[in-house]
Amino acid sequence: MLAQLHRVEQSLNQVILGKPEQVRLALCCLLAEGHLLLEDLPGMGKTTLAHALANSLGLSYRRVQFTNDLLPGDLIGMNIYDTRSQQFHFQAGPVFSQVLLADEINRASPKTQSALLEAMEEKQVSVDGETRSLPKPFFVIATQNPLFHAGTSALPESQLDRFMFRLSLGFPDKQAEHLLLQCDSSSSRLELLTEQLSSEQLKQLQAQVPKITASDALLDYLLSLVHASRHRSDMLPLSPRASKAILRAAKAFALINQREFVSASDVQQVFPYVAEHRLDPSSAAQESRLSQLLLQQTPCPI
Amino acid sequence: MLERKPLLLLWSGIQLSLLLLLNQAFALWVSAVFAVLMLYRLLTVFKARRAVSLGLVNILAGVIALAFFLQIKQSGVLHFMLQILLLAATARLLALQHLYEARQLVWVHYFLIASCFILHQDMFVAVIVLSVLFANLYSHYRLFSVATAKINWLQTGRAALIILPLWLGMFLLFPRLPPFWQIPNTKAATTGLSDSLDPGSIEQLVQDDSPAFRVEFTSALPAREQLYWRARLYEDFDGRSWQVNTSRQYQRGNQITASNELSVSANLTDYSIIAEASHQRGLFALATPVSSSDNVFIAPGGMLSSHKPVSQRVSYQVSSVLAPVVATSAEEQLNLRLAPGNPQTKAFATRLKQQYPDTDKLVQALASYYSQQPFFYSLTPPRLGSNSIDAFLFDSRTGFCSHYASATAVILRQAGIAARVVGGYQGGIWYPEQGYLAVRQREAHAWVEYLHQGAWHRFDPTAFVAPERILNNLDSMLPEQERALLNSGWRQFKLLQTLRQQFMHLDYYWSVWVLGFNDNEQRELWRSIRRHLHLLGYTLLLISVIAVAALALYLARARHDKTLPAAAKLLYQHLAPLLSTKQPQQPVSVFLQGCMAKYPQYSPLLSDIKSLYDKALYQNDASALAQLKVELKQHRRQLRRLHRAIKNA
Repeated sequence: MLAQLHRVEQSLNQVILGKPEQVRLALCCLLAEGHLLLEDLPGMGKTTLAHALANSLGLSYRRVQFTNDLLPGDLIGMNIYDTRSQQFHFQAGPVFSQVLLADEINRASPKTQSALLEAMEEKQVSVDGETRSLPKPFFVIATQNPLFHAGTSALPESQLDRFMFRLSLGFPDKQAEHLLLQCDSSSSRLELLTEQLSSEQLKQLQAQVPKITASDALLDYLLSLVHASRHRSDMLPLSPRASKAILRAAKAFALINQREFVSASDVQQVFPYVAEHRLDPSSAAQESRLSQLLLQQTPCPI
Repeated sequence: MLERKPLLLLWSGIQLSLLLLLNQAFALWVSAVFAVLMLYRLLTVFKARRAVSLGLVNILAGVIALAFFLQIKQSGVLHFMLQILLLAATARLLALQHLYEARQLVWVHYFLIASCFILHQDMFVAVIVLSVLFANLYSHYRLFSVATAKINWLQTGRAALIILPLWLGMFLLFPRLPPFWQIPNTKAATTGLSDSLDPGSIEQLVQDDSPAFRVEFTSALPAREQLYWRARLYEDFDGRSWQVNTSRQYQRGNQITASNELSVSANLTDYSIIAEASHQRGLFALATPVSSSDNVFIAPGGMLSSHKPVSQRVSYQVSSVLAPVVATSAEEQLNLRLAPGNPQTKAFATRLKQQYPDTDKLVQALASYYSQQPFFYSLTPPRLGSNSIDAFLFDSRTGFCSHYASATAVILRQAGIAARVVGGYQGGIWYPEQGYLAVRQREAHAWVEYLHQGAWHRFDPTAFVAPERILNNLDSMLPEQERALLNSGWRQFKLLQTLRQQFMHLDYYWSVWVLGFNDNEQRELWRSIRRHLHLLGYTLLLISVIAVAALALYLARARHDKTLPAAAKLLYQHLAPLLSTKQPQQPVSVFLQGCMAKYPQYSPLLSDIKSLYDKALYQNDASALAQLKVELKQHRRQLRRLHRAIKNA
């Protein structure tokens, strides 16, 4: 199964050129059952990544373009009165898919944002008092434009916290971009992507993540990192949810790297992507100043 | 498991050494039987043949045991028991097949090893017995260990260090219980002076360098002319040889009191003696012993005697008055008895008596007779005929102390003066640094005591023939070729002699401190502990304060260490120089990965270490931790080279 996962990774790399690290982290986030926040300038391939992920994993994929007039119902769905049967029946919104691309999430009103975030956390939605569970796996890739862009309302800290990873694809290097230009269009490449891993297999892989060993020594190190963020004025403290997320992410990272245990280096590698947006919500995704500071200042004796 | 050759070899070796150690208790044929059995066992080990069948061994052992039993009269019960025990061990080894049998064997070996101390007490043998014990312990350990287990010598040493205080404490404080059972007396060849003195007997002793006894003086060392160690009173003369009157010598007599004219307390000479095993009861004392420790008693005639034949080294304390022994009325009659023969001597004595009716004068005259006439002192006197005293006094005039003593006593008795020959030792070697006097068998001597004014006065004719014999030692006054006789063989090597002397001193301390530590000494120790109880209290307080501080320090360190998991601790222990170049925030595995690129020739080793470390640290894999330990230890040298490279870089 891991082999298939790696084939997924390879095919993704053929679509998202020159970004193997981000691709791997995105997969990692998927395995850890977290949600991914992509922050980039428009046209950097955020949508392509989401789409490619959905395609190669054989997951149902929906995309919602968030605007400031998008209502929660547009996202979740609503009960509609059917005149023929004279009954209300539920019209599922785009949230009922396995991969949801929430494009430009910071353009939507806080109300809609929070509706999505609730769905992300609970993996279920309630409409008119009726609870409906979302499909499994449920993976949200949200993109946001940098905050200084016009017409954006920033995600509050509490909601940023619900994204396990925040990534930035960034500009491709020259060589990759050259290759990109050589090909006709990325969309044609996208269509080439076939299903490499069934959703069942993905679920199994996700189930393996918690079983990855994390020794006491490793947990001690992780906690020393997290604790270093607390009682400081220059950053927001990392919550227990954050430490859980770090551990989960590190476990998934270890699984992708075909190891049965989490190492300190796993923690160090995922830490900036998991922690930075929690330490400083206003920071840009490209930078990871505070998390790097923590990594530098926390000794790792093991 | 019993096909294991080394164990069988070890046991055979242990049994052979036991045979050598216990050899003294066995008749020649018994030793031969054991030797044959053991050599046969060795042969089967080397030829890898199977053990002898149990039935055959049983029959064989039965027959041998019966033979042992038949000669129990000659060997004595104790030796018989030792023989049976060794036979059991030997036979068991011959037919050894099962593990439980091997365990029995090991336990019987322990018993046999301990029983070696019945026969030997000197330090040299103690060292040998200790090594045999260790061999047996090792075999015991091997019986219960897995095949691959190796003895960790460092750990063993540490264990020994830990047990040392306990061991010393047991030695010092464990009550010296009286034996639970009587050890039957052994019959063994006696050494030292015997109960019969004939002209040749001392000659043999003089060639013997082995120690007879050692003396430590609590009071001042007496002058050399006073060092006449009385051991035997020869009172019965048959015309040729002198016999001890055994009915008197070894009977507990009335307490000897020193002659009244001496103020007793002022002139006491206190000393303690460590006597070697002689298998005789007679012991040694200076002049008139007035009191002694409980393990010996003072027999009539001022002789010290042990309650039983001295079969083990014995230590006793004596206080002597350096004055003639007071005589009893019975003694005078006893020592006036004459033996037939020796007419010339008789005539000479009568003449002397007529000339000097006074005893003092007569003895003086006799002394000047010896010094003026051409008498010679020699270890190799000519053989004397039937009237040996006549032949010696008027013909050969060459002889040894026993000749002179014997002749003198006969002359005095013929002249109507009660006289007897005293056997003992004269002088000794004084070691001022060690503070003791060593008396060897070669210091054996014989002299005369005559009765005068109610006391036995010493008269040593040898002192007039060869005064140097008394003042110096034997070597200095012998002619050249006879000195060569004494100094033949290994004695001519200076180094060997020095070594021997050093060993003798060691042996002395062993006797004083280890063998001499009896219940008296122990009681004394307890008493002194009680006396210094308050001091002890402070010491204990101090020790406990130090111990508490040390414990606190240890716990603090342990807590500090607890933050580091075992695998990391291990790595920091062995790779400290390398890891000191690690940046603090860098994980060890990442750092090692970097090192592999930096030091390519060590990369296989570092890679091994890294993977084991990862397993041990991140997966809590105990076997990986153990393996890591082994790996680090095995490649210690390589790691040292790596560290040197780092230092040079």
